[in-house]
Order: sequence, then C-alpha cells, then structure tokens
Amino acid sequence: MNSINSARAMFYGLLSSLFAKEVERDLLSELMSEQGQVFLQHLANEDSFQPHIGVLNDKLKSLSSERDLLELAADFCGLFLVSGKHSASPYAGQYLEKDSAELFGEYHQSMVNFLTEHEMQLHSDFPEPADHIAVIFAYLSYLCSNASRAEQLSFIDNYLLTWVESFAQQVQQHDQQGFYSALASLSRAWLEFDRENLVNENADNAE
Amino acid sequence: MKRRDFLKGMLATSFTVISSASILTPLTALAKAGAKNRDDWLTTGSHFGAFKVKRKNGVIDQVKPFDLDKYPTDMINGVRGLVYNPSRVRYPMVRLDFLLKGHQSDTTQRGDFRFVRVTWDKALTLFKESLDQVQTKYGPSGLHAGQTGWRATGQLHSSTSHMQRAVGMHGNFVKKIGDYSTGAGQTILPYILGSTEVYAQGTSWPLILDNANTIILWANDPFKNLQVGWNAETHESYEYLAQLKEKVKQGKIRVISIDPVASKTQDYLACEKIYINPQTDVALMLAIAHEFYINDLHDKAFIEGYSLGFEQFVPYLTGANDGIAKTVEWAEKITAVPADVIRSLAKTMVAGRTQMLMGWCIQRQQHGEQPYWMAAVLATMIGQIGLPGGGISYGHHYSSIGVPSSGAAAPGAFPRNLDEGQKPIFDNHDFKGASSTIPVARWVDAILEPGKVIDANGDKVTYPDIKMMVFSGNNPWNHHQDRNRMKTAFQKLECVVTVDINWTATCRFSDIVLPACTTLERNDIDVYGSYANRGLLAMQKMVEPLFDSLSDYEIFSRFARILGKEKQYTRGMTELDWLKQLYDECKGANEGKFPMPDFEQFWRDGYVHFGEGELWTRHADFREDPEINPLGTPSGMIEIFSRKIDRYQYDDCKGHPIWMEKTERSHGGPGSDKHPVWMQSCHPDKRLHSQMCESEQYRNTYTVNGREPVYLNPGDAKQRGINNGDIVRVFNDRGQLLAGAVLSENYPKGVIRIHEGAWYGPVGEDGSKEGGAKVGALCSYGDPNTLTQDLGSSKLAQACSAYTCLVDYEKFRGKVPEVSSFSGPVEVTI
Repeated sequence: MNSINSARAMFYGLLSSLFAKEVERDLLSELMSEQGQVFLQHLANEDSFQPHIGVLNDKLKSLSSERDLLELAADFCGLFLVSGKHSASPYAGQYLEKDSAELFGEYHQSMVNFLTEHEMQLHSDFPEPADHIAVIFAYLSYLCSNASRAEQLSFIDNYLLTWVESFAQQVQQHDQQGFYSALASLSRAWLEFDRENLVNENADNAE
Repeated sequence: MKRRDFLKGMLATSFTVISSASILTPLTALAKAGAKNRDDWLTTGSHFGAFKVKRKNGVIDQVKPFDLDKYPTDMINGVRGLVYNPSRVRYPMVRLDFLLKGHQSDTTQRGDFRFVRVTWDKALTLFKESLDQVQTKYGPSGLHAGQTGWRATGQLHSSTSHMQRAVGMHGNFVKKIGDYSTGAGQTILPYILGSTEVYAQGTSWPLILDNANTIILWANDPFKNLQVGWNAETHESYEYLAQLKEKVKQGKIRVISIDPVASKTQDYLACEKIYINPQTDVALMLAIAHEFYINDLHDKAFIEGYSLGFEQFVPYLTGANDGIAKTVEWAEKITAVPADVIRSLAKTMVAGRTQMLMGWCIQRQQHGEQPYWMAAVLATMIGQIGLPGGGISYGHHYSSIGVPSSGAAAPGAFPRNLDEGQKPIFDNHDFKGASSTIPVARWVDAILEPGKVIDANGDKVTYPDIKMMVFSGNNPWNHHQDRNRMKTAFQKLECVVTVDINWTATCRFSDIVLPACTTLERNDIDVYGSYANRGLLAMQKMVEPLFDSLSDYEIFSRFARILGKEKQYTRGMTELDWLKQLYDECKGANEGKFPMPDFEQFWRDGYVHFGEGELWTRHADFREDPEINPLGTPSGMIEIFSRKIDRYQYDDCKGHPIWMEKTERSHGGPGSDKHPVWMQSCHPDKRLHSQMCESEQYRNTYTVNGREPVYLNPGDAKQRGINNGDIVRVFNDRGQLLAGAVLSENYPKGVIRIHEGAWYGPVGEDGSKEGGAKVGALCSYGDPNTLTQDLGSSKLAQACSAYTCLVDYEKFRGKVPEVSSFSGPVEVTI
C-alpha cells in the first residue's frame, strides 16, 4: 500500500468511526493527544478543511466532563439514531431511492453485495443497514488500497457525492452544538478533495 | 501544497486511530450461507390478516395473503413499511435529563427533548432502579403498569404478558379494568343480559341469512371494522356480507342502517338508511318502544317469561312518572328522524324476524350505557332473543364473531402472572388506601387528582398517586382523550418507560424507550379466525431482529436476569421450548377431536386447519329453558329494570334506561351555539387503531396533503370556503389540529369524521417543532384525541366518552408546519 492510499484509508476509517457511534473517551484522548493535534493542525492547512477542523477541534477541546460527552451523544442520537424528516438520516437510500420511506432498500442491497464480493460483512456490533454512511466510508477505506482509482472514483461519485450534500444540509439544519455539522461539512470537502486527487492521479498516469 | 504532498503529510503526523475497530469484518461461513437467496414463502399473521412472505437477501421482499384468506385487506401492503420504518426504535434510549437527574428531571421537557443511546444493560438497570425508588418511596400505588392494549399478535411474545409478569416479579402495581373500545357496553350488559356480549360469540351468519327478514345495523359498520381482528384475521365474515348483499339485492332481507353518516357498509350493501342526529339514539329507541307499547305490538309472553322490570319501565315510557310521553313526535324533535319513519320502523321490527346488530360507537359517549341497555329492551319487547335471525348482537362487526366456531381448543399463552408460589421482590400490598384497580380511562384523572374518590360500578374508587408508568405494545397517546390534559398529567410523573417497535407519541413522552422487534422478527403461534378459532398459525421469523431490538421474551428475560429471577421468569425454557409446549398442550386438549400433526410438521406446513364449525344461536339455550339456563344477571332474567343499579342511586345511570342530555351535543344541543359540529372519531378504515399509521407508503394512499383526512359535509365546507384537499384547522376549547379536507355527501350537515389512530404530532403555535411539548400545541397531522373530552361515561362504567365532542373548523391560513408525528423525538434549541 502506498503512503498516499494509507493516508486516505486512515482518514476514511476515522470518518467511519465518527459516524458509526458517539464520541467516546478513548477516541477523544487519541484526538487530543499530541499526535492527534498535530494531525488535525495538518488537516487545517487545506483551505477547504480549515473552518470545519477549527469547529471540530474547539468542540473536542471543550469536552471535559461526562456531561459534555453525553450532550454530544444526544446530538448524535437526535441526528442519526431516530431519523425521520426532522433529523439527518445516515442512510444513502433515504436520499436516493424512490421509495425512500423504507430502510433496507436497494442501496442496502448494493452495499451488501459489494461487501460480500470482497468477503466482508458488517460487524455484529453494528446492526445497521449497509447503506449507512459509516459503512460506506469503511468500505471506501478498504477500497483505497484494494481497488483501481477508476473504481474508487466511480464509487465516490455514485454512492457518496449523489447525497452527501443533502445529508450535510440536514445535519446543519438539525444539529445543536455544531460538531456534527462540521464533521458532515468536512466529509463533503474531503470527498471533493479526494476526488480531485484521484482524477489528477489518473491524469498523471495517463501522461 | 499539492494534494499528494498534503496526503503524505497526513501520514507523517504518525497519528493513527486505534480505539475504533472497523465496523467491517471478514465474511463468516454462516453469513455466506445465509446470503444465498431463500425463496420459500414463510407464513405469519397479524391483526390485519394472515399472510405469507418471501425474502430477498435477508430482507422482506414480497407479501401475499394467506391461502385460506379469500377476502384479504390491502393493509398487508403496509407491513413492510412497519418493519423497515425510519422511525423504528433502533436502540434502547434514555431521555438525557432523566439520565442525568433521574426522578428529579425536568419533566416539562418530556415530548420535545433529547435522548441518548444506552446499552440494554444500562437501560434495564435504570428501569429497575426507578422501580426500586417508586416501590421504596411510594409503594405499589405509585406504579401503574396496567395500562395495556392491542399489542401485536402472537401467544408467546404477547407484550402485555411479558411486561406484567416481569414487572410483577419486582413488585405490585396499579391495574386497569375495562377498555377504551367497549367500556360502557361491557360494564352495563352483564347487568342486563348476563355477559359483556361485546366479547362473546354470536349467532352464526348462515342462520341470520336464512332466518332474518330485517337486519338493523345500529351505528354499525362491519364492512369497515371486520378488516382487523384480535388474532390473525382470515376474514371469513366477508363471505357472509357478500351473501347478505345478494339477499338485499334480491329483496329477501331488508337491511336498515341507523347512523348519522353513510357508512362503508351502507355503500357496500346498498341498504336502507335512516339518518339520526348524533348521540340521540336512546330517544329514537324509546319512541320505538313507545310505539310498540301503545299499539300493543310487544311480545308480552316473552317479556313475562324472560325478563324483569318491564312494569317499572312503562311509566317512564308513557310519561306517567315524568310527564313526558316518549312519543314519536317527542323523538323527532331530538333525533330528526321523522315521526312517520319511526312508526314504520317500529312496525317493521315486529313484522317478521328482526336481527339487531349494534356497533360500539354509541356506547363510546357520555351515558354510553343507555343505548346498549335500551336496545336490549327493544329486543326483549320484540321477543326474538334466542331465535335464529332474531334478537340482538353487540359484536358482529368484530373479530369473526358470527363465523361458526370450530369448537377446537385454542393454545395457551405465555403467563401474565407469577407462577404459583413466587413472590415479588417488593412483596407489598399496601396501596395506602387507594384502589389497586381503576377504570381504564380514568388514569389521567388519577395522576392529576390523586386521592380523589369516585363512584364506579357500585364501588368507590380512590385514585392512587401514580408516579411511574410502564407501557408495552400500547399507545395511550393515541387512544386516551384530550392531549393537552395528558401533557399536564405527564409532567407530574417521575418516570415513564415504554417498549415499542416504532417511535409512537407515547415513546416520545417517555424517559426510557426500549426497542421491541416486530412479529416478523421472532417465532410465535396464533389462532386464526379469532372467535371462530378456525385454526392455528405458525408465525415464522422472517428476519433477525433489526438494529438492537429484541423480542418481548428476550427483553423481559434480560430484565428478570437483572432482578436475579431469570430462571423463574423463563422456567428455564427457550423461545422454541415455549412454542412447542404451547403447541403440544393445545394438541393434547384437541386429542381425538381435532387431529394435529407433531410440532415439526405443523411448523413446516405453516398452519393446521380445524375446519368449519357448527351453526349456533346466541341465547337459544336460555330461550329453551330460562330456569336451567339462566342468564348471568342477578335474577337470571333479562333485566329491563336493574335493582342492583337502582340501588347505586346514580344520577347518570338509573334503574332503567332513560334519555339524558349530553354535556356537548350538536344539532341544537348544549354547546352547539359555540362549536356547532359533532366530531366522530371512529375506528379507522386503513389501520388498526394507531398501528400501521407510521407505514409511510401505505399512509400516502389515504392522506390528504400529507395529513389525516377530515371528512366534511360539502355544504358546511363551502360555507367556510373549504375545498377538497385544503388543509383545515379543527378546534375547540380543548385543542386544535390540522387535517386534510375530503368533501363527501356521506357526511351530513354538522358532522365531521376523523379516524382515531392518527399519530399525534404537536407543533408550537408558530408552527415550530419546539413548541410541540407545550399545552395548547397544534397537532400537525390530525389526531382527533387532541379535541375529545376526557369524561367518564357515567358513575357506572366511567368509560371513555370520545364521541361526546363538539368542534368547529376553518380553512387553515397560517404557515403550514411539517408533520412531526413520524420522526422520533424532536430536538429543541437551547
């Protein structure tokens, strides 16, 4: 695995973790560690990430008590665990399917098929439809070093960029403390950035 | 910086996430096998019907009716939408402020505030700790775990049984008596006819079809209501309704429907209709009785031989004791039924064999005991009780009543109570002078006015001081009256626990919410054909429980484990052990009469059919010999006058049926000058109460502008500038809601209909979701119980009186708020 793909895989893995469950003490410590802070500051060097990283890091720094973590967990719950029209459904199918009233639809089936093809499945601790944004990011993390750039591009275009904008808007509309708004916006900015990177890499190879 | 350098730089920070493992894992052999398509059709059942399911990649794909169901309803098309609903309760959740402050939480936040996900262990431990606190501080009168309802079908996983057995292992609690559907009827009729009648098998339809000359459908809409049943419904009744339609067409049976509205059944049968002013049925019945009496049309021998108290009733009828003869002219003024029509109706009812079929709506009102009692008096005067095709029924619109019973023994159920010899942890029966059982619809009163003493069915009931409520498979934020009053009451509760499949309003107004799986995610067995008990149905698990939901059995086994009583709870048995035991016991009871294969064969077949039953006439044995086969009344006879009730000395339920004015009545009655319209909130056509309302695609087949339909008289609507499809604000002094206008000549002037079961979705006066928790909020979807009156029917039954309700309506001209009913809890901005 080349270092660029390792970096990409790591970042998609981080996004997956942050959308998969509430921020817990361990992950918070890692992000607050010296290495974590250096990492976040590096990310802030990219103009399109800078404002979102700023919000995220400020919020992370302010999480001192259990109560703070619970408040953030309540944001997570309201946005992603009780979804409906008044929250930000984390499932691709809710934005993309004609019959978006039901979960476990076509996009769930497609994602299950992708995972099965690559001999993977959802961990039993994560009993969610497979079109959950955390699954899509985890799968993309895997693709970084296991699929051609063309395949990766096609996946990003069809399974993320088709709905992440709407998703981010929903999060912004219903988020309380701004952490998840920033995370959703960062995800969108990152996808644009990574897409450009993949396109250019393709161009580089064509040279 | 170039992108590639930037990306390389990310790694250079040598930051790695180690605390979060990937949510992906290598495919297991089991999952590989399971990933193969299973294309067999599995069987299951529901209140909406028995049906079969085909899966695709582990997801429910197609649903089709059970082979033996010849008249399936289209509600089974909504089943997928129940299971895969975006508002599934996915994980155990606790309201944040409750998690932080427990019983000292800010309860005004209930209904609008923040939840967090917790583990099952955490949620169940909090549940137990709340019970500990309530039992320690207040004793059993502080806990109401008896508000139970329609649940989902299935004999093993029945949510009521599980919740009450498990909570009962912890301590004692307040329970209910009666139900919202038939509260007044089931209380009065044991005094009059000796049983509830509403929940009893009735005369077989073939006998009615062969013998009746006239069928009176009194406030009864069987064609609508027979779609759903208490058990897996297989809709045999519809074959008889089809035959009846044919007989009406051929002129062989007259069907006369007495109803303020043109019902679905009227439309189907193309039968005769008599319009009556809402809530005035007793006046019409009295006039018919008066007409019988003055024309000597009543069956004196039957009255003499089978009833008591006619002589005490007659002076009231003739006006000898109150100066008002209950003549057809008297009734015309109240009921709007022309005197000639009443005269002719009375003649018809005694001209041949007349079967009276009563609906339940007219007892769900103030003095709801009276029309049921008076109808029994009419049937007694006609003298045909106990004859095929004659007499009176209070249940032919419900759960296969009238379909001949197979006679087979039905399976038992998971026990609701503790086993013999078991004791709860808090073995305390001291209710501190309060009643341990209260009338079902009076619990909100009790929360608001603890210690108050009321009359109920001959006893005094002292309201307990309720601090905690536990609900499972039950949605009182649908079926109870007057939402704003409920909100005030709920703010007084310290803890509310709800177990359900989707985020009902009851979940939203709770502190601890626990996810149950649907019936399609567990194995169970059920009767099909309800009262007819046509057979036994395997309810086969189609998919594993979604998200972190569990079966009721698993939820409360885990709860019992926390109590240290798991083995006592489960008797050391698994789900499959229980199913086999329930089946084998049923097989044993049917030995030699109804052959049943072994369990494995039954499970493969999906059902065992008991065959068609024998024809039967209700009360025929009583008619044959009232000495040997007396009714269950105090005298053993039909009681036109009840000495027992008379001795209670109630001003609103006296010794014989009488006409009484209501607190609210349309068409010139009290309150109609201010709010001129009667609102009918009958059982829905496209749901079972509130079950299935959340199924979105199916709901979209009947909603109007995304709202619950409100059916309006076209003339009334026109006067208010309302057209089909407009959003209408319906209001009175108790509340307000939005609904979508449907103009229909089926609804007379001064009458509207909104089906109950429409999910409550309150929003603030400015349309904001935040304001939804406030008293006075606007229901954005159209729950009629936002407007109904929380009033006991009388001192006898203290039953739900949802039908005594006046409203007014107007075209809604404000900013139309989003529907907030189907989206889980709403967050507010601090």
